[in-house]
Amino acid sequence: MMLLFGTIPDKNLPMTYGQVRQEGDYLYADGQRFSRTQGTGAMISAALAICNYFKLDPPHVLVAGDIGDGKGTRDIYKYLTEHVVELAPAVITMHYSLPIMALLKKLCDTIKGCEKRPFMIADAGAMYAAKGAGLATEFDIFTPDTSEIAFLADPQATHPAYISHHLLACDADKIPGQIADAFKNNSAAKLLLVKGKTDYVAQAREILATIDEPNVPTLEPIGGTGDTITGLVSGLVYAGMEPKNAAIFACRTNRTAGILARPTPATKVKDIIDQFPVVCRDYYDAWNKNVKIL
Amino acid sequence: MAIKSKNSDSVGDGLVTFRDVASAMKGERVLRSSGYEVKLVAPPAELRLGCDLALEVNLVEQAGIERVFTDEDVTFVSFTPLSTHSSPMCDIVKVTDFGQWVMIKCGNMKLSFEKATGKIVNVSGGGCPDIPYLNAEMVDKTLTAAPHPNELGYTLCATMLERAYEEALNIYNGDTRS
Repeated sequence: MMLLFGTIPDKNLPMTYGQVRQEGDYLYADGQRFSRTQGTGAMISAALAICNYFKLDPPHVLVAGDIGDGKGTRDIYKYLTEHVVELAPAVITMHYSLPIMALLKKLCDTIKGCEKRPFMIADAGAMYAAKGAGLATEFDIFTPDTSEIAFLADPQATHPAYISHHLLACDADKIPGQIADAFKNNSAAKLLLVKGKTDYVAQAREILATIDEPNVPTLEPIGGTGDTITGLVSGLVYAGMEPKNAAIFACRTNRTAGILARPTPATKVKDIIDQFPVVCRDYYDAWNKNVKIL
Repeated sequence: MAIKSKNSDSVGDGLVTFRDVASAMKGERVLRSSGYEVKLVAPPAELRLGCDLALEVNLVEQAGIERVFTDEDVTFVSFTPLSTHSSPMCDIVKVTDFGQWVMIKCGNMKLSFEKATGKIVNVSGGGCPDIPYLNAEMVDKTLTAAPHPNELGYTLCATMLERAYEEALNIYNGDTRS
């Protein structure tokens, strides 16, 4: 079972756990409806598209409404900490949430009691908490963007708002050095997928792959296009791909969907997500011939 | 500057300093009653301003905490990261011109708007829960009609978005005046 964890920007959404399905612009789980177009919702939608293509069970989601005050974040951490051993997910992806380091520490301690350790992926607030709490190496994949890799490379920062200026101001060609620093500082997961103009896939201080085609500059302004990469790589790992190949496929899928959607800076992420089934159907066999994935 | 080493029962990664003890104690009371986990601590010598109490807080919640202080009339001096050699908050702004649209990036946050109308077309970046909420509240509204991120946000991501928003407003007002 794959478990997707994160907050939803709807203060009226109670904590919800269940298998997810999509209907129109909404996702449904355990009788609750929430948007697929924002943050965690975009991540879930991307993972769901991959599960559908590979004919896997839909992901389970653990979500709660949170508009920034941390109430929903605390609810889902409490539930997961209390139930993760019995739920025994194969993959856990942790996403938008208030980065409360103490809650993540407690969860990670509990996960050590799982009969089989889940494959752990983090992005957004959960990744900030993991880095801040010194728990990055407990995770298998982080999916930072270019400002977030600077944050991971800065040994002192506990939030991207406090990155050393020389790190944030640097050129894109400094990213490999930041990746190396993140590993050196134990602030990286086992694999890093760095999302940017050029995407980097790195493991054990080594850059394994870079992806820069197709180049779609107008994806950067679109809110949620990083979240979809996190969902894609989650689904692909759950489908059985090696993490490195899952990361490469996730980047290619997002970029190719971007080309197909012909985006402008005003395009919404749902228009990109709607292209994922097309990309899977039309490109995956050809890509698989070049990179043996399954 | 060595500020303070964290101990096992620390509740956060930042300190709020106050000018007097009464403000610090009131700050603790109003934050606890609003659901925040905070702890009164002795500030390090470098940060002492006459008050010998500070509040240890989760720094990411800075924007929400500031709002509680404003609402409850609590006067504070500053927020400071609780780590050695910490950097000040990021203030680097990058502007990318997409022709019909402009993207403003501040720290980990990006805001894009249409030049001619000032309509916010996308908000991206960030990782805290108020960012998708601010996206929903701000996108498809004009810069002048949209809520300010610091009015609705609670976190450092919202603070970064506020800086991007202010820069966007400056650019838009400059454009419309020219």
